Amino acid sequence: MLEHIFILALHEQGKILQETYECLSCADDMAGPLPSLIVLADTKTLSPLSQELAEKTGLEVIAIDTGSIDAYCAELYIKTLTAYLRDKSPFHIIIPHTSQGADCAPQLAHGLDACCITAVEGIEEGRFARSMFGGRVKALHSPSRTSAVLTVMPGAWKPAEPDRRSIGTITVVFSAERSLSTRTSGIKESMHTNTALTVAEVIISAGRGIGKAQNMANLALLQTLFPRSALGASRAVCDLGWLDYTHQVGSTGNKVAPKLYFACGISGALQHLAGMKNSRVIVAVNTDPNASIFTVADYCIVEDVNAFIPLFVNLYDDRHRKKP
Amino acid sequence: MKILVCVKQVCDNPDTITINESSAWIEYGPATVFRMNRYDEYAVEEAMRIRERFPDTEVHALSLGPARVQSTIRRALGMGVSHGIHIPLDEDRYVSPAERAWIISEAVRGRGYDLIFTGVMAEDDMEAQVGGLISSLLGYSSATGVMAEQLFNEAGEIAVERELEGGRREGLILKLPAVLTIQSGINTPRYPALSHMLKAKAAPLEIIEQSSHIPPDLSGTLRAITEPSLSAKGEFVEGTASMKALKLLDILHGHSFL
Repeated sequence: MLEHIFILALHEQGKILQETYECLSCADDMAGPLPSLIVLADTKTLSPLSQELAEKTGLEVIAIDTGSIDAYCAELYIKTLTAYLRDKSPFHIIIPHTSQGADCAPQLAHGLDACCITAVEGIEEGRFARSMFGGRVKALHSPSRTSAVLTVMPGAWKPAEPDRRSIGTITVVFSAERSLSTRTSGIKESMHTNTALTVAEVIISAGRGIGKAQNMANLALLQTLFPRSALGASRAVCDLGWLDYTHQVGSTGNKVAPKLYFACGISGALQHLAGMKNSRVIVAVNTDPNASIFTVADYCIVEDVNAFIPLFVNLYDDRHRKKP
Repeated sequence: MKILVCVKQVCDNPDTITINESSAWIEYGPATVFRMNRYDEYAVEEAMRIRERFPDTEVHALSLGPARVQSTIRRALGMGVSHGIHIPLDEDRYVSPAERAWIISEAVRGRGYDLIFTGVMAEDDMEAQVGGLISSLLGYSSATGVMAEQLFNEAGEIAVERELEGGRREGLILKLPAVLTIQSGINTPRYPALSHMLKAKAAPLEIIEQSSHIPPDLSGTLRAITEPSLSAKGEFVEGTASMKALKLLDILHGHSFL
């Protein structure tokens, strides 16, 4: 029988990440004890962070004071959490699958003799569902050991509604961990933020499905129909060098929410969807009817984008632009 | 300096796979094409670039899998890796990250690698665990999602930048030996010259038989494979291509976009 469910609350620049509250919804879907939240922070920021968690969730908050270390550091998290959780087995700890959570989860599991299930997107009949082969199949996992470290895909659950009925208790724990072999050297802002993407009303976005760099011309053609538009791209397109990284849309690129997002040959990796699914209207063109982009699109068109766009632009010209 | 790059062979066209009879794993079809995991290509390239800066560096590539993965090891040799290592698997099966990391760690322990690179994740099982687990098993420092590295050879340290959300980067200084999982975009992987590939084809590979005493609890957490339940949110526009285009014109006109 599972004794504990813990949720690791992640934060950046003094703010709890929304993904923490999504993990709470995931915990709600698990048959198990009421979860507790764990937050690690330096002495100064720990108090407001744990206060926010206790007020918003009404749950027990374990606030681990890491002294002067004020930023995420994998080694610190792994050592501190391993020490705290060592005698709490059997437990599940749920961690957002972000750049922090995905970084520390496997090593944490190893240190605790727990199993590790990453990038969980759902729970089906008590098993954890996640994508494999780029979403071509769904894999169902269940723990192979008494305790488990789970990472939850951002956006897979909606953030839990704040519970205003009660305020949770806060237990402060002082971390003894002081000797780290890793030094952090600060955060660099993105070199690839693109205001053209954030102000555009329409984003025409390219995926690997456009086939080759020359086919970007089709997207430029489509762009002529929309005056306040910008070009976006999936990570794969930027990695291939078809567009530079300032055009990348996704969790590691630009997060956008235009009035119209026109996805061309984008299959819809979760990290891409996370960057654009709040767009008001989404049109997706893809040859594969099972492409995940269609799970967020309002209008789904199963066609080869390289044939469809010229056809679409021609028909537009027939209607609107053709000179007699 | 000795660098090991762990390369995985993955299928290039997942639309050719089917779920096997017991629904425990997948089966590849006759049209399935295999290639190196893309993230691992960036890892091989980054190792090559370190060797260009520090010519004494030795770079090895290792792959665990059935006989077919030898072509991926040879691809790494074609990119310039000096030594290829194959840990054979008798059958073409799923290997959990825990088992994979354990087998690799047992095989390379004591070989004096200063750096071990993997891709940030494998494109097939998408679990993103092996790098971190190897660092734990071997007691190496570790960083994931690496987008830049700078090696200070003298001090036995490496400075890295990890990719964060929104394209921001976290700077870290790690003590060697270290495991880095490499993110795509850190470099542009080279395309091996034909002459290099021909040479690689004939190069001998080191075969390391896996240890016979694999701990029993490494079988992992995978229980079943199913078809994804894609619930399309929106409307599929139907008809011939021209009809779809005309309907889309009307739709976008209706939303006042056109």
